[in-house]
Amino acid sequence: MSDVSTVAFSVFIFFFLLVTILGFAAARWRRAEKLDHLDEWGLGGRSFGTFIAWFLIGGDLYTAYTFIAVPALLYAGSAVGFFAVPYTIVVYPLIFLFMPRLWSVSHRHGYVTPADFVQGRYDSRPLALAVALTGILATMPYIALQLVGMQVVLEVMGLGADSDNWFVKDLPLFIAFIVLAVFTFVSGLRAPALIAFIKDTLVYLMIIVAVLYLPAKVGGWGHIFSTAQAHMTSISPVTHKPTGVFIPTTGNSQLAFSTLALGSALALMVYPHAVTAVLSTKRRDIIKRNMALLPLYSIMLGFIALLGYVALADKVTAANVKKANNPQLAVPYLFQHLFPSWFTGIAFSAIVIGALVPAAIMAIAAANLFTRNIFKEFFKPDASPRLETRVSQWVSMLVKVGALLFAIGLPKTFSINLQLLGGIWILQTFPAIVSGLFTRWFHRWALLAGWLAGMLYGTIAAYNVSTPTTSHWGGSVNTLWGHTYYIGLTAVILNLAVSAVLTLVLRATRVPAGTDETLQPQYTADPVDAPTPAPAAAVLGSEVSRGD
Amino acid sequence: MTDSRPPRPGTSTRGRWFLICLLLAPAVIVPLLVPLYDSEDPTLFGFPFYFWFQLALIPAAVILTGVAFALAKGADRMDRESHGTRRGEGPR
Repeated sequence: MSDVSTVAFSVFIFFFLLVTILGFAAARWRRAEKLDHLDEWGLGGRSFGTFIAWFLIGGDLYTAYTFIAVPALLYAGSAVGFFAVPYTIVVYPLIFLFMPRLWSVSHRHGYVTPADFVQGRYDSRPLALAVALTGILATMPYIALQLVGMQVVLEVMGLGADSDNWFVKDLPLFIAFIVLAVFTFVSGLRAPALIAFIKDTLVYLMIIVAVLYLPAKVGGWGHIFSTAQAHMTSISPVTHKPTGVFIPTTGNSQLAFSTLALGSALALMVYPHAVTAVLSTKRRDIIKRNMALLPLYSIMLGFIALLGYVALADKVTAANVKKANNPQLAVPYLFQHLFPSWFTGIAFSAIVIGALVPAAIMAIAAANLFTRNIFKEFFKPDASPRLETRVSQWVSMLVKVGALLFAIGLPKTFSINLQLLGGIWILQTFPAIVSGLFTRWFHRWALLAGWLAGMLYGTIAAYNVSTPTTSHWGGSVNTLWGHTYYIGLTAVILNLAVSAVLTLVLRATRVPAGTDETLQPQYTADPVDAPTPAPAAAVLGSEVSRGD
Repeated sequence: MTDSRPPRPGTSTRGRWFLICLLLAPAVIVPLLVPLYDSEDPTLFGFPFYFWFQLALIPAAVILTGVAFALAKGADRMDRESHGTRRGEGPR
């Protein structure tokens, strides 16, 4: 493994340089007249049409870590491994129904982050702060995992892997990181939007070739599936139980599968990087149209997931993975063993660039949350748009340094656990954000209490999950009254229940609910409308019950 | 709660929005019903049913969402037109 294939490496360097150049050139791409405004740096000028948005949102949601982790789950025999497919089917109709409303109201009021909306809707600084902090906290480990995904590929390429010196070992990651940090700083959201074209072209190329070429090399799909099935049903010498689950057939594994798919879909909608991508579009119908087009990525994801089984059927790859004792290396080893080296270079470039795009968007989203909802709100209420942009630029840098420290300083399992927690945490902002798009029935203090309840329960429950090999943080599902559920989903149900009960109490005791600065028609507004004239009273109208 | 400005007869899009939700519902619900597809047979091109069925759900969801998009486009336009009418009619 120690010798770097020169061809693969050259191809990789070529694409990396190309992306670096594009990242900086993006600052001039579709440049607006009013620079130095957070809308420009942080949301790409809210100007992206269907085509760019498709690449940007796709590049944002289907991350490099997904390409590594999902096949690793299948490889390792997880019962819920394939959940990424239903999860990414379920998420789009939900975005279709909910997010255009967020787009419209944000467009009317100039909201940049989901916490901006919560502040405007509920007139509650504590609630907006809770949403912002949760967003930053959940995003940081997600960025760290992108760097971990990069590390895995760099390691298989043999870059710095066999050095004992930590600096030499992580040097390639440092270089990739510096490039990422600087072009995000300079170009803002335009950089990942432009790079996403390259990323997705390479990823689609990689997966089409992989699906057509690899199965035949290891004996065809029928053989791949039967090998996987035989492997999963064999008894593990360590645990004396079956090695894994091929198809979830027991009630509890099915429940874990579907609650994980649903919970992750709900969480994805309110992740700051997803909201940032949605708000960067030009018109509200662009979001809806994209929801019909984005599932194309899910087909790709499904096949990437199955590469975990292809790796299992390839004896050399399986032996390599066993030696390294890290299922995350399954796909990189598979590519390295079976692809000609020039194509291995392309595939590895696809994964590393695939990490740069979401990492940039996530850092921008976290930086916007800090700037708008912490810096401006609590420290400098009169910050000019120019200052806001400066602060966001520097914070995006800081966020990435933090993520880098996560990725190299902490054990990988720790980053994975944190990301798992991040999903549970971000889901606790769902009630405040999404219910707020339809109704203001919930009381602001009740939502805050519900958030706190969900956060506490979710964190404690995740801490208490044990497996035969670990005593804590063993996964994201637990058993409640004899049934297995995704912790994030049970926590958000608790969150909603607490919010509902306290809302009734707070309303009965007439605790002030604050002023709502949004108006009902603003939730369906489009730029083609004239600016909405203020009606005498904004009441929740017939639109509440409507699905849009 | 009632809308302070009831839409004029014929311009209501409630039915259309209901239809849109009805179209999108299976795309959300069916993938979550694992017992529907937790079997190996029938296989297709070597893929067990469990795997190819989930992959096949993707184009099905694309079609449903596509139709919903077309309907929503029309509904949005009708909504806007009725908003415009209301704005013109109402006292300034």
